[in-house]
Amino acid sequence: MRIAFVSLTACTALLSACGGPQTSQANNSSANISNDSRDANQATANLEARVSLGDATKIMHARHEGMETIGKDFKALHREFDSPTPNLALVRTAAGQISGLSRQASGWFPAGTGTEIGKTGARPEIWLPQNATDFSSKLRNFQIAAAAFNATTTRGDLNAMKARYADLAGTCKACHDKYRMDMHH
Amino acid sequence: MKQPVWDLAVRLTHWLQAALIAFCWWSAEYNHLVWHIWGGCAVLTLLIFRLLWGFVGSSTARFSSFVRGPAAVLAYLRGKWRGIGHTPLGALSVLALLGAVAVEVGLGLIAEDEDGIYTGPLYQLVSIDTSDRAAGLHEAWFNVILVLVGIHIAAIIFYRLRGKSLVKPMITGRASLEPGTQPMRPGRWWVALICLAIGIGVTRWIIAGAPPFGHWTPPS
Repeated sequence: MRIAFVSLTACTALLSACGGPQTSQANNSSANISNDSRDANQATANLEARVSLGDATKIMHARHEGMETIGKDFKALHREFDSPTPNLALVRTAAGQISGLSRQASGWFPAGTGTEIGKTGARPEIWLPQNATDFSSKLRNFQIAAAAFNATTTRGDLNAMKARYADLAGTCKACHDKYRMDMHH
Repeated sequence: MKQPVWDLAVRLTHWLQAALIAFCWWSAEYNHLVWHIWGGCAVLTLLIFRLLWGFVGSSTARFSSFVRGPAAVLAYLRGKWRGIGHTPLGALSVLALLGAVAVEVGLGLIAEDEDGIYTGPLYQLVSIDTSDRAAGLHEAWFNVILVLVGIHIAAIIFYRLRGKSLVKPMITGRASLEPGTQPMRPGRWWVALICLAIGIGVTRWIIAGAPPFGHWTPPS
């Protein structure tokens, strides 16, 4: 149920973020895949959508800013969880922000937003056909972990928060190790 | 007849440090940050040990025996230096390497990675911005170490071409000395153990986040 909700909001976020991506031919050709799973794939990565050059620049900018915000939230969370007196209000804000951005991330990786357009840490491997399922599932794991972590922060159990936070960190790393390259800014 | 010039502690520290620094480079390059952090902690332990051994160790390990002023360096370059251990010029290289590695470790202790997942044990003592800047400098400063290692190896090759092997004495601890030169005065083994214990103790305290000033949860 939660996945369906995430997918739905992700679709909505995607549509509002990119002004409606054109559904690609490739989606139609995969007719033997059930509608549900196709929607899920589309919702979590939307790798096949083609975007115009102007939209690509906008999306890459949003992606960069979004990732940077997630990174900053993560750094703040790390400090809170190592502190003897964590600021739970700060933890909740950061967790909510990461969860919200994770849903937006569904619209951050349409085809044509790689190094061919400009400076980015996104590896071209993201858009290789053989990696589509893997990338989508890694992104979905991130979204699920972000939602799960966010849910624990509304309760008072600090150990549960730390455990879900560690899970979430694992999903960041799993994707970054494979699909991100060093980008010095 | 070959005589002792480097004690076991100096040789072990030297080769372990070389191996650990290579390991730290490799683990950072290939995203094994947990290994990288523990490797850095091991470098720190050895660094503390070497600094202490530089005051209470064998004669050739002591800073007082090899750190010389510019006059001695010039005299050495003119061929007017006799002795064992680090030459006055080589001493500069030793100090530069130890200093550069200390800076690198210091930056790593307060750094955090760009995702906020991995941190040095003392990251809590500084702000997020400082940790981020330390991470950038930590990466850049490694080039300084590389240059110094390059000079170090170039010097070894230079001496080798002139017929003097520096590598062999650093392995066996022994070299042929010119008649009349004083051989190494060894240090005491239990003093070495105390130095090592202090190195491990200080590192453990830092790994705990230097309580009561901070707290660190080691990465898993």
